[in-house]
Formats: sequence, C-alpha cells, structure tokens
Amino acid sequence: MRLHPFTALTAAACTAVATTAAASWPLSVAVVVATAVLAARARVAGRVLFAAAVTMAPLCLSLLVLHGLFFPEGRTVLAEWGPARVTAEGLEFALDLATRTSACVLVLLLFSFTVSVPDLVSALAARSVPPQFGFVLASTLTLVPAIAARLDRIRQAQEARGLLLRGGLLSRLGALRLQMVPLVLGLIDDAGIRAQALEARGFGAPGPHTIFRHVEDPPRQRIFRAVALVLAAMAVVLRLLASWPEVASP
Amino acid sequence: MSSSSLTLPEARKAASRNRRILEILGAAAIAGTYIFLVLTQPADIANGPASFSALVALGGFLLGAVLLIVAVLPVLPTSTLVLIPVALVLNVVLGQVMGSTGLPFYFDAIGTVLIAVLAGPAAGAATGALSSIVWSFFNPTVLPFAAGAALIGFLAGLAARSGLFRRFYLAPVAGFITGIVAGVVSAPIAAFVFGGTSGVGTGAIVSAFRAMGDTLLAAITKQALISDPMDKAIVFAIAAMLVYALPRRTTFQFPFVRRFRVLAGKAPAAPAS
Repeated sequence: MRLHPFTALTAAACTAVATTAAASWPLSVAVVVATAVLAARARVAGRVLFAAAVTMAPLCLSLLVLHGLFFPEGRTVLAEWGPARVTAEGLEFALDLATRTSACVLVLLLFSFTVSVPDLVSALAARSVPPQFGFVLASTLTLVPAIAARLDRIRQAQEARGLLLRGGLLSRLGALRLQMVPLVLGLIDDAGIRAQALEARGFGAPGPHTIFRHVEDPPRQRIFRAVALVLAAMAVVLRLLASWPEVASP
Repeated sequence: MSSSSLTLPEARKAASRNRRILEILGAAAIAGTYIFLVLTQPADIANGPASFSALVALGGFLLGAVLLIVAVLPVLPTSTLVLIPVALVLNVVLGQVMGSTGLPFYFDAIGTVLIAVLAGPAAGAATGALSSIVWSFFNPTVLPFAAGAALIGFLAGLAARSGLFRRFYLAPVAGFITGIVAGVVSAPIAAFVFGGTSGVGTGAIVSAFRAMGDTLLAAITKQALISDPMDKAIVFAIAAMLVYALPRRTTFQFPFVRRFRVLAGKAPAAPAS
C-alpha cells in the first residue's frame, strides 16, 4: 500500500507532538525503537540513523555535560568536584530531553527520507497551498547536490590557476572569496534565467493552475489522519491542562 | 499583456489588507509567545522536562513563521522567488565551506542576509522561515528556529533599506544588533525544546552560567548574547563583501536595490526597457 504524503506527514508530526507532550523517557525510547524498525523495513535505516546521529551526537554530548555536571536545582548529589556537582535530577533531565529530541528527530527524518518529493509537491498544490511553496521545496531539494558538485568544479578550476587552500587566516579568507564569488554570481545569474522561463509558462499568473500529477488519497487514510490529529490535539490539551502555570500566589 | 488591469482595485486592496493583517498576526504570535514563555518559565525545571513550555514555544513560533510565509510568499515577484532556493542552499554550502576554514563560527544565515539585501525585508523574512522548514528535511532540529531565522532576514532587509550597507563598516554593526535580537528570541527554543545548545563551545559557556546558579533560560540567553552578535556581525560583513563583489549589472537589476539606493555607487546605465 502506498501512503499519501499527507498521511505520512500527519503520522510523523502527531507522533512528535505526542512524544513531546507525554515527556516520559520510556515512551520516547519506544518511539525511537519503533521508528528504527520502520526505517529498516523501508530500507532507509542506514541513511536515517546516520543523519540522526550527525544531528543528535553533539546535542546529547552537550546535554550530558551541561546538566550532568551543572544542575543547581538538583538535590541528590552523587559526586562533587569544586563547582561541578553530578546530581541524579540533572542526569534524569538530560536523559529525558535527549530521548525526547531523538524520538522527534528520527520520526521526522523517517518521513523526509521516505516521502516522494514530486508526490508531496502535487499533493500540496492540490490543497491550494501557494504553488510558490512547492516550487521552493522541490527546487531546493534538487539544487543541493547540483551546487555541491558545482562548488567542487569551481575549486578545481581555481586550483588549476594556482589557488592554495593553506596558510594564514588572511590567505584562507582570500581563497574563500575566490570560490564564493563565482558560485554566488553563477547562481544568481541562473536564477534570473529560471525566472524568465517560469514567467513565460505562467507560473506567477493568478487563478487556478492545472496539476498533471494526481496522488491517490484513499478514504481510509483520511480517517486515519483525522483520528491522529484528534489524538495529538488531546495529548496537547491534557499536557496544557496538567501543567498550566499557576498564578503567583501571594 | 499585464493582467493587472483586469483586477478590480477594491479586490486588490482587500487582498493586500488581508496580507498585512496576516503579517501583523504572525509577528504578534512570535512576540506574544516569547513574552508568555519568559513570564511563565518554570521556576523549578527539576520537576521534569519543560514539556508545557516546549509545546507553547513550538506552537507559537511555528504559527508565527507559517503566517509570515502565507502573507509574503504569494506576492513575491518570480524573480525574487527563484532566489529563495539559491539562498537556502547558500546557507548550507557556505556554512560548510566556512567550517572547512577552521573558524569557530557557524554562519548559517549568509544566503538569507544576501537575499534580504537584494530583495528587501519581506523576502528576507520569507527566506529565513522557508529555509528552516526545507532544511528540516535533513536536520529536523532547525525547524523550531524558523521564527528566529525569519527575524534575521527581516532585520537584514530593514538595515539594507535604511542604507546601512552603503558603508562597508556599518554592515557588521547592523549584524551585531540583529544578533542581539535574534539570539534573545531564539533562546527559549534552545532552553525549553532542546534543553541546551548543540556544540561544545556554546555548551561550555552555558555550563559556566549554570554553575553560577542561573536558570536555564537565563544562562542560554546570556550565552546567545555572547556568541550570536559576533556571528551575525561576521555574516553581515560577508554578505556585504559578496554583494559588492558581484557585478553592478547583477545587483542593480533588483528593484529593491535601485529604489532604496541600498548600495553605494551609481546604477549602471539602464538598458532601454
């Protein structure tokens, strides 16, 4: 069965919101494991886990050092060196936040690495989202690899002309300028040409635009989306009611 | 040729009024969320992760960013719109090139500032917010900072409009002030959604303030006040350098640059239009 892009998006977003609202690390760990299993079944486990590790490793390390060593609110002191105090509360706080953020990051990455961008763009256009949004999304996702290759070519060309990527700060900045100016100039020029081509095809024209690509949206998935949204909204409302900040009592 | 004569002026006026209302609502959502978070910040975060504040921060800031995008995006001319993907990729690629020089800054807004200087505050704000949304396809942790990125683009555009990019030494000053505002507004996201900052250097500064007994939000706000203004001053200087390194023919093709005399020097002789 093929998922409609909105179904996948709703499922990912609702899971992330509900995990944030629940704020319990066993649930977050369960979400992480479930996402990893789903990613493995979709054969994107390697890419999803790599992207998540690149994002999460510095954050988790920073959280561990920050809350593990310095947590003035902590009461149960486990160890103490000078100003640094390892407290049980601090470690628990770091664990809570690290697992919660990991769960949200993994779920959203699973969505973005499995969704078909053309399907997503045509689904967005069919829901009267401004076509400009779909253009920016699709254009960026296809530009990223192209620009990396282009930067590489510029560097090779400049190196052939004697550019050295070594030396002190000033010579490095000079080298940077020699690479960045051709890149930016070329990109802005290309953008001008693309704008003319888009204008000639009536991209900026007001009124309805015809969509050639149609994405199936089975009624079952619509029901699933509605249920997921209601559940996520309930989780948020419960959390807001449970911990609404009390008015400062005299 | 143009379809403007077919549109009734009243309908147009109403549409532009609606857009203005959306823009104001978006800005109000961001400002209101920030004030609410600062006033109601949990006194004792040891009672568990600040789930309530995280939900409020995510909801309010994302709502504000989406309202700004909805208000600005449909009225951008196509020539500006095609620059947004370019800016977004520049944010990422130039950030990586900068990283390869071994300098201790992150520079993730160069493209946004560049577009704001060439196309104005509205385009800058839309670029910043869209940049966060699209980049979250690879790194979801940037999504909550969409409002801060929009603010950077908007302020850069305002600085360009008031002529701060006409003198090369004024651009870093504008960047410094932008960094202060953007850093303070983004601090609740770092504090309540992520519980800290990603990175060893910034983490060490936050730890130092925490060791002095500050609350998490206060510590992260002070850290942002130390690192963000410097970072944005450099980013604005780089953007100014890039804009002046581009040929006049390219920069002066943007109506915003011509109309507000954003850059020093005279416009090149206009081609017969």
